[in-house]
Amino acid sequence: MKKTLNINIGNSIIHIEEDAYELLTGYLIEVKQHFGKSADDFEIVSDIENRIAEMFLEILQSQQKPVIELEDVQVVTGLMGSVKDFENEPEEEPLADTVNPGAAPFIEKKLYRDTDEAMVAGVCAGLSHYLKIDVSVLRVLSVLAVFIGGSGLLAYLILWITIPKARSRSEKMAMKGEAINLQGFKRNFEEELSMFKNNMQQAGDRFEPIVKRSGSFITEFGEVLGSFLQGAGKTIFRIIAIIIMICASMMFLAAFISMAAIFGLWDSGTQDLFPFTIINENYLNTFVFAAFVTIVVPILALILFSVRVAFNSKPAGKTFSYGLLLIWLAGLSVSIFFIAKITYEFKEEAEFTQSVQLKPFTEYKIEVDRSRFFSKEDSLRYQLNAADYTGKVIVHDSDHDDHPFAPPRSVSLRIEKSEDNTPSLTESYRSQGVNFEGALNHAKNIQYDFKQTDSVLTFGSAIHLKKNAKWRDQRVELLLKLPVGAKVKIDRELNRYLQGFNLWNCSEENYKEDMYYGIMTAEGLQCRFEE
Amino acid sequence: MIAENTQTQMRKGILEYCVLLIISRGEIYASDIIAELKSAKLLVVEGTLYPLLTRLKNNGLLNYNWVESTSGPPRKYYTLTPEGTSILVQLDGTWQELSFAINQSKNQTNQP
Repeated sequence: MKKTLNINIGNSIIHIEEDAYELLTGYLIEVKQHFGKSADDFEIVSDIENRIAEMFLEILQSQQKPVIELEDVQVVTGLMGSVKDFENEPEEEPLADTVNPGAAPFIEKKLYRDTDEAMVAGVCAGLSHYLKIDVSVLRVLSVLAVFIGGSGLLAYLILWITIPKARSRSEKMAMKGEAINLQGFKRNFEEELSMFKNNMQQAGDRFEPIVKRSGSFITEFGEVLGSFLQGAGKTIFRIIAIIIMICASMMFLAAFISMAAIFGLWDSGTQDLFPFTIINENYLNTFVFAAFVTIVVPILALILFSVRVAFNSKPAGKTFSYGLLLIWLAGLSVSIFFIAKITYEFKEEAEFTQSVQLKPFTEYKIEVDRSRFFSKEDSLRYQLNAADYTGKVIVHDSDHDDHPFAPPRSVSLRIEKSEDNTPSLTESYRSQGVNFEGALNHAKNIQYDFKQTDSVLTFGSAIHLKKNAKWRDQRVELLLKLPVGAKVKIDRELNRYLQGFNLWNCSEENYKEDMYYGIMTAEGLQCRFEE
Repeated sequence: MIAENTQTQMRKGILEYCVLLIISRGEIYASDIIAELKSAKLLVVEGTLYPLLTRLKNNGLLNYNWVESTSGPPRKYYTLTPEGTSILVQLDGTWQELSFAINQSKNQTNQP
């Protein structure tokens, strides 16, 4: 089924199918175009139209059909001849004085802003059409004008405000100086009418008050700024996303390597480092794996997300994401389970004490033994040969024992006055455990060194656990009781182990040669330097 | 290409003459003129004819009058004006001269 129209051609009403109409219209426009150059166009065209109408009527009559079809139009226009075939000789005729001399275009070129080809507001693009100067040249000139003297910017803004934007197609064609030609008409016959309308509207536009024009300028400026930021902003986001992606990937890699190390893929000795000594061996690996999953899945999600932002692609499907979520939840629950289990190991506490008799002296020197005690296994690990070190002591030389894998401080010392005027040292060994027996066992396995050499009391800096013994917050509390009147020289290193007394509070005069001088009084230890 | 150009030039001149000749026989309208030209094997499309007719009319060589027709729009029937007739006579003369010139050129042999 086809749509038909009624046309009035040559004073006859003729039914014609839509596609036939299109063809006919195009032909007639061409004809009009062609004869528009000469003075008699109206008459010639109407003659032609009359003839065409006649031919149509003949066809309808002879073929006994109600409507003109596409083929009919083709036949008729073939008979009439295409515009090319019209052998016209207006050039040599003297009567052709009515022909427009030269190639004056139908429409004079008008100055508009070309926003289709604009970089910012189309000022340079529009100017280039009007002046027939290459747009890049104008752009370079305007940039120079902006930088040299700055007046160029003002001029540009003024032009932006005053020159209207080419909105409609006809305006754009007028801007470019394209004759409203056959191509344009063929495309849209109806637009001829709307162009007329636009012209009227444009005349009205010209009379708009300048304020309103500035208003639209501001909107446009905002739009340009917004789109610039959007574009730039998007790029900035992309860059940030890429950076995040790289960092996250490195974190992922690091986590992976750590896990491998802990699993013992190579002999990295991590089992002996503090946090891992808490955990029993039988579930060390499982726990580590669960913890790894818990940590790594969010990193993975972060990587995927940043990939999506950076490259605007969706790397992971929904199923994958849900799967990842499930894995993470599983890892999380397992980790929590193990953490609970581990905490359980610390449930009970046990303690036992032993006393050491001290030889009395009038003045004691209290110092910290910083030498590191190496177990056999440690010696092997560090490849220490005892022979090399005879007579020498390896000192643990760090000022703080606070490096990441050091167990928490486990030695504390209190210095108090003795009740019975004799010096004594009480060592209390404490530990946690899963039950009292276990705790006590752990406590018994604590090794701590203290020795008295004449008047020198040497305290070890840390406790030692047997190799592979699990950390259960083992600690030793030392209580040194001195009789009133006993003098002390305390190594300043001792301060961190000293409870209930802060050596820093002693004034300068009591501090000589890295030693704090004090004396036990009835009220407790006090700083005093006495000869 | 070159032959076509010359041919077109030749035809252009002759067409007008032929048309005037045809119309001189009696009043006739465009479509029939075409038919006559076709039978005389002078091929031309109708579209060429109309501007030509209009021009001749504007130059005063032709006249027309509208004739109503039952089957379609009214038709223009062309006739020669007196001026048209006199021009035709001139063209007749020109044609004789040309014909003679061509014959001469054809039949005479070049002098050695």
